[in-house]
Amino acid sequence: MSDRNTWMKEIAETGFFLDDLKLYLDTHPLDQDALNTFAEYAKKRRTLLKEYAEHFEPLTCDCICPENNGSAAQKHWTWCGGPIPWDREASDWAAAAAPNFVKGGQ
Amino acid sequence: MWTYEKRLQFPVRISKTCPKTASLVISQFGGPDGELAASMRYLSQRYTMPCKEIGGLLTDIGTEELAHLEMICAIIYQLTKDLTPEQAKADGFDAYYIDHTSALWPAAAAGVPFNACELQSKGDAITDLTEDLAAEQKARTTYDNLLRVIDDPDVLAPLQFLRQREVVHFQRFGEALEKIKNSLDAKNFYYYNPEFDKQFVKA
Repeated sequence: MSDRNTWMKEIAETGFFLDDLKLYLDTHPLDQDALNTFAEYAKKRRTLLKEYAEHFEPLTCDCICPENNGSAAQKHWTWCGGPIPWDREASDWAAAAAPNFVKGGQ
Repeated sequence: MWTYEKRLQFPVRISKTCPKTASLVISQFGGPDGELAASMRYLSQRYTMPCKEIGGLLTDIGTEELAHLEMICAIIYQLTKDLTPEQAKADGFDAYYIDHTSALWPAAAAGVPFNACELQSKGDAITDLTEDLAAEQKARTTYDNLLRVIDDPDVLAPLQFLRQREVVHFQRFGEALEKIKNSLDAKNFYYYNPEFDKQFVKA
């Protein structure tokens, strides 16, 4: 993965999958298949967040790694870098992936 | 304790300014069945919930509702960030504009400010979970109404996502209610209050 948008799409999809599975596990805590799937995707998410922070900027406080940010000329506070989530540009990763919305067809 | 993840749960990418649409969508921020009420409802109810798994579910859904509140606010923000006073006047957004400019403030579509009376934390597990089931359906109907009157596909996509989450939360709360009932006297679920009369609770 080379660009920010490809990375963000992966993070958003993996993150949402885990959000949904988390609620399922809250009411089905003994489902072994679901537990295994959760572990697999939670690991993937951790890796994605770590890699994203190394290439661009941290998305969570745990990912702040000023010494690893290759784009920075010197060690600096990276937490405030990157797009602000509510700006349109922050969702640019979805431009090519927009669903075909059919009005009235829920 | 909470930590912030610096991204939206689902993308919001709106290009056309439309204060009229913003004044409708705002109901899901501060309206009677909006995301702020949803989050505060679940995060308030969880403390006295007798079953810790359901306290956990209320925490997780209450947290997801905060992410939904953020999406709704992003929709309103993007619909109004390039607003001109003329557009505000022409689109019936002028009354809001006078008090809040284009900032976010929790209110219903009809202008009624957010009110904690829109949610309940009753201290009885059956009552509260039944309230939660109704809340998810009321929010789903509100999203259905928004989907009917709005035409911009950039706005419809995140609204449809949010509507689907109401259905999933309804399902999970239904399972939670069944779980509580299984720990009660099947001959009379209402014999005591499982959140208050702790001496009767089995699990």
